[in-house]
Amino acid sequence: MTARDATRVGLVVIVFVAVQQTLMLDLRVGAIHPDIMILLPIVAGIVGGPGRGASMGFTAGLISDLFLPTPFGLSALIGTVIGFGAGAATLALDRTAQWLPPVAALAGSAAYELAYASLGSVLGQPQMLHVQLLRIVLVVSITNAVLAIPAMRLVNWSLPAASTEGVPTSVASSGVLR
Amino acid sequence: MASPRRSRRPRTTLLILVLAAVTIISLDARGGFHRITSGVKTVASDAFAPVRSGIDGIIEPIGSFLAGSVHYGAVRQQNQKLQQEINQLRQAQASQHDIDQAMKQLSALLNLTFVGNLQTVPAEVTNYGTSDFAATIDISVGRNNGVQLGMPVVGAGGLVGQVVQANHSTATVRLITDGQSSVGVRFGPAPGSLGLLTGQGSGKPLDADFVQSNTALTNGEVFTTSGLQGALFPPGLPVARVVSHRNGTASSQETVALQPLSDLAHLRYVSVVLWGPS
Repeated sequence: MTARDATRVGLVVIVFVAVQQTLMLDLRVGAIHPDIMILLPIVAGIVGGPGRGASMGFTAGLISDLFLPTPFGLSALIGTVIGFGAGAATLALDRTAQWLPPVAALAGSAAYELAYASLGSVLGQPQMLHVQLLRIVLVVSITNAVLAIPAMRLVNWSLPAASTEGVPTSVASSGVLR
Repeated sequence: MASPRRSRRPRTTLLILVLAAVTIISLDARGGFHRITSGVKTVASDAFAPVRSGIDGIIEPIGSFLAGSVHYGAVRQQNQKLQQEINQLRQAQASQHDIDQAMKQLSALLNLTFVGNLQTVPAEVTNYGTSDFAATIDISVGRNNGVQLGMPVVGAGGLVGQVVQANHSTATVRLITDGQSSVGVRFGPAPGSLGLLTGQGSGKPLDADFVQSNTALTNGEVFTTSGLQGALFPPGLPVARVVSHRNGTASSQETVALQPLSDLAHLRYVSVVLWGPS
């Protein structure tokens, strides 16, 4: 990754943090607010592969943790795994397909919230499983699915062209990835 | 056919980052490192406060528009009704009513008899929680105003919560309804019995622990902070009133549900009590 790419990634992360901490905190659906920081590792996984998805998940998660009252590092851990998972699960798919970002955002966000609540509960915060978990999953997943395509464009602009890292050589050579 | 070969690099990246995150979580759970992460959080919040304030000013109208779009059906119905009924004078009255409500809360905060001689700092509630998984609020005062970690925060009715993050000009307060909150309380005729109120999540009643079975309780009875030595709150702050209680015939404890005395869902102004545990 070049210095220009790193600057662009930094800018995109700052834009996401700013939007999350302002607009998204005001936009509440049934007392639940969307969480677009989860989108970053998911779309980075699709654009750049599992490794970059994991790196973006760790970075975005750690930054999110700075503004959250929940255990520090929890968002980074779940973000890393979700980013890697999004990259790995979409390796063999056509990453330019229009349906892919919303579907990945929907599934990835739901998995993120469930894992976040479960692991938070294990880490001494049992109330995280007693909140309106289903409502949180629905609100966050649907809003992220809606915002997935613009988020994909932003991350696409910041990250270098799709990587073949982690791709089976048979898939990489087939020309599916561009 | 050759079997697919995968690069090991992404898995190595995953392993390293997962280990790093687990290490951070473990270290944060310990006291020493938590102070460092808390400091970093403070720096981040302080650095981001002007950005948040500036962007809020620009995009608040957009947020209101989007929020309106989410409730489009209800808003449209309400709008039709309002268009028939409301004239400019009534809008002015509504606006006046809103100001009156704010004034009422502020006036009530100026006359907090239950805090006694303790000093307080009034604050505006700027945000209702940054996480869907915790019941917290952000307030407009911080260390510059004398606010410190652990200080109690009260509303017009009584205890609201405790400062869990004190930045330079803002602070985060954990509400008493949060699952991590516990408040030592006293109730009943003097000298009073002791108990512990625990939060069950936003909008849910508080639970009382250590209330012996068959304790004489009445609905509406007010529990106040116990202020025992080493307690997290000063004595005598009203916390919650009993809404239901059940005799635990097979249990050694009474099942008691309590409603916070402050309206935690509609807080606009609160006061930070400048008091720390001895």
